[in-house]
Amino acid sequence: MGTYLARRLLLMVPTLVGITFLVFMLIALSPGGIGASLRVSGGQMEASKAAQLEAYLEDRYGLDEPAPVQYLRWLGRVSPVKFGERAQVGRSGELLRMPRAVKSPPLTDWFPLPVLTVATLPDFAAMPTEALQDAYRKAANDYAQARAASVAASRAMERAAIAYAKDAGIEGAATVDNKFRAKAFAGREPDRSLAGWPTLDAAAATAHEAWQRAVLSREELESCFRAKPFPEAGVPIIPGFLSLAWPDLGTAFSRSRPVGDLISEALPVTLLINFIAFPIIYLVAIPSGVLAATRRGSWFDVLSGATYVALWSIPAVWAGVLLVGFVADAGWFPVSGLHDRASDDWTFLPSTAEDGTWIRGWLLDTVWHLCLPVACLVYAGFAVLSKQTRAAMLENFNADYVRTATAKGVPRRDVVLRHVFRNSLLPLITMFVTIFPATLAGSVVVERIFSIPGMGSLILEAISLRDRELILANTLMIACVNLIALLLADILYAAADPRVQFE
Amino acid sequence: MSAPQGQPAEISGIDVMRGLGQVEAKGFWADAWSRVLRRPMAVAALAWIGVIATMAVFAPVLANAHPYRMVRLDLPEGDPARVTWPLFAHLTPTDLLLLAAALVIGPYLALPLARPRAARLRDAFALALQAGLAVAACYGLSSWANDNDAPAWLKAWNANAWFPYAAAAAVAAVTCLGGFLLVPPERWRGRMVIAALVIAAVAVASGSRWKEPLVNLERYVELENEGKATAIWPPIAFSPQLSRSDLYVKPPLTRVGDALPEFRGTEFGQRMMWLGSDALGKDVLCQMLWACRLAISIGLVSTGIAVIIGVTVGALMGYFGGVVDLLLFRVVEIFMAIPVLFLLIVAAGVLPRNTYVMMAIIGCVSWTGAARFTRAEFLKLRNQDFVQASRAIGLPLRNILFRQMLPNGVTPVLVDSSFAVAAAILAEATLSYLGLGPDGQASWGKLLSSATGTTGTFVWWLAIYPGLAIFLTVLAYNLLGEALRDAIDPKLRKAAH
Repeated sequence: MGTYLARRLLLMVPTLVGITFLVFMLIALSPGGIGASLRVSGGQMEASKAAQLEAYLEDRYGLDEPAPVQYLRWLGRVSPVKFGERAQVGRSGELLRMPRAVKSPPLTDWFPLPVLTVATLPDFAAMPTEALQDAYRKAANDYAQARAASVAASRAMERAAIAYAKDAGIEGAATVDNKFRAKAFAGREPDRSLAGWPTLDAAAATAHEAWQRAVLSREELESCFRAKPFPEAGVPIIPGFLSLAWPDLGTAFSRSRPVGDLISEALPVTLLINFIAFPIIYLVAIPSGVLAATRRGSWFDVLSGATYVALWSIPAVWAGVLLVGFVADAGWFPVSGLHDRASDDWTFLPSTAEDGTWIRGWLLDTVWHLCLPVACLVYAGFAVLSKQTRAAMLENFNADYVRTATAKGVPRRDVVLRHVFRNSLLPLITMFVTIFPATLAGSVVVERIFSIPGMGSLILEAISLRDRELILANTLMIACVNLIALLLADILYAAADPRVQFE
Repeated sequence: MSAPQGQPAEISGIDVMRGLGQVEAKGFWADAWSRVLRRPMAVAALAWIGVIATMAVFAPVLANAHPYRMVRLDLPEGDPARVTWPLFAHLTPTDLLLLAAALVIGPYLALPLARPRAARLRDAFALALQAGLAVAACYGLSSWANDNDAPAWLKAWNANAWFPYAAAAAVAAVTCLGGFLLVPPERWRGRMVIAALVIAAVAVASGSRWKEPLVNLERYVELENEGKATAIWPPIAFSPQLSRSDLYVKPPLTRVGDALPEFRGTEFGQRMMWLGSDALGKDVLCQMLWACRLAISIGLVSTGIAVIIGVTVGALMGYFGGVVDLLLFRVVEIFMAIPVLFLLIVAAGVLPRNTYVMMAIIGCVSWTGAARFTRAEFLKLRNQDFVQASRAIGLPLRNILFRQMLPNGVTPVLVDSSFAVAAAILAEATLSYLGLGPDGQASWGKLLSSATGTTGTFVWWLAIYPGLAIFLTVLAYNLLGEALRDAIDPKLRKAAH
């Protein structure tokens, strides 16, 4: 059992990597690519300002790197097994990492990089923790500013170089979306007589100066970081090389909040809806399937079969719209949301207020709000499950052991429930594998229709904003939930059938 | 051999040998089909799908804001612009080819010709497939060539009058003949005739309508109301493109004249909006008709893509087994790890909003079912004698997989594909409802979404009609699938009776 579980869990890893890679490449290859919404946030800004802002954001989120590198970085952060230097946990719980290398300004052939004079750094290792943390905060602040300035100056230099290339007749210095292409300048000699040259020269000087400052402040930050001002995250396996730590899902671009927080708010809502829906599906479908099988050919059998096929074909969106339009509009149920606006002040259970009015309480309020969404989610599952129950029961009714049982005088009730039904249970457990993913996905739609703040609303928002972190984390979570549910179904299957062994 | 009619005068020894009153056994599919036709629900489902398909083909002729024929009274007699046929001039290549195909293929299949019907069905399928691919490719090329960002050389070529025809013919030729390279036909001559037909038709249809013209649909009405023209209109004289903000959310059975008193007494004022209008002031009935096209094509094409991918992957897995099976099954597992609808939402959200892209997305995401069915069948078949024999005589792999094994193992996939079509239509409706559907295309899901979303209040006719259409179409495909499954599966057949 233990080995089986371990193997199944390990097999999940390549699947999760595969699915997140698929989704990542889908975003990366789509028009606009990753962070498209970040790029348009420049809006009405002046062109050079917008370019600088874009460069800053690209640098901050690593959007200027090739897509596979970005994916590997994300994977490294999410993986519980970390390589290299361990991150440190800052005071408010945020993860601090070794600062990344500063990119040098372009056109180093024409403008050689200055030789850096190494400044003498304070002896961080000797500082007391309190002072070291203050020093780290200051250094991190300086570094962030210096890096942003360097990136902006480099971008300004690129723009000057593009303008210069136009004068010098250098083809292909800029891509279609006006990005700098260094390749076009390779092997060319600068022409200092052109009109664009002084601008480029000045821009290069600024860029070099900013770069120098950024590199030096990075060095200071790095040595401060090495002195370990904060406690390290996770558990070391091989110190300095391999460690275990909680996955870090990153920060959502669009909301500037940790993705982990957003998901921990949304996931319980989605799971709640699904966990309410599932018992309902099984409680309705199994008895009706059993009844249909025992009274095969009766009006109940025919009618329930026809009803379920019809229900199965009703699109969830239509059911949702009709429920909102006809049931919720009439005031019987709330139209949207998960709680009443006033529910925060209520008690958990129903109670009467001081003036004697009845308050339905937080729990009942939630149930009342969930009625329509759950109704919208369950009906499609009835058909699949009851049809399966009926077919499995019928198959067992024809089996020899049932005839034997009947022949030796076992009451019909016991034949149906103890013999046939027990042996028909197995396919019902496997049906979970079919129904669960559909219900999970269905809740995305249902959440949208009823404005419930669950995973579905989160993913739809993430997609419309092209928020890389949020989309990937959402995919990962949905896949995890789905895979764990399927694993549970397999374990239940083995528990129900002694013939099945864990292998 | 047909059964003897009536009692023969004298029974000879030969008659006895043949078997008295014997009836030739039907083929597998013919038998299954006749079983399907014995179920009234399945026949009703087929009829509904037939209605939707007919509407899909004839929507541009039935519901269009272009008049069939227009006579400009203000122009002198003999002026070529005096009598025009705007509706036919504005049909897109797809419309034209669909109409032509319906008018040619319908009689070809229905008439009692010498060629067996199964062969004629194959011909029709080949024609439809090649024409569909060619038109889609031409659409891609023309939208690239007519784009403002097109490269300079392409723009220069595109300026020539001959270029559209030549380009369309070339694209059609590449798609048709390229298909032959991938799947060599058994009888070259017949297939080449079909390919030539397709190339000629696509070149004419696509070449003559290379650029989408800008049209002002309200101009016809203006001309007619000013007394400058007379026109003959289609039965539903609205287009999905015709949107008038003054016709915002009108209930069913409203005449334009009731909503806009200034048009009372004119032809335009007499027009009836049978199913009302939506939040953009578009007629609902005409959108419902045009949306049949999206539903039918999305269902069939995306399922076709899914079946092709799934059968290929599943065949490789089942035939080779071992490492190939293990590796490819990991890919299948990746797609099973996440709910299909979720993946669809992500893909449709980030990729261009376009019908062809939508079909490709749905197809590429939902192929795992076909792959698993094919794999299971091929695992059973791979050790059978006929497969061993094909291997022994050195048939190429492609031949063994798709000519020898596939016909024996394709049944479960085909039965499942009816449910897959239903699922694809549901997926399209859901995506359109979420605002991730194809742009500029009438869709039942999109109509449904405007029932609650954009208007702020609930508009019942925007909820009932499109929802009912989606429901009935999905139900029809599901019923058909159930009937097919019961007809083919002998175990179920026994259990059902």
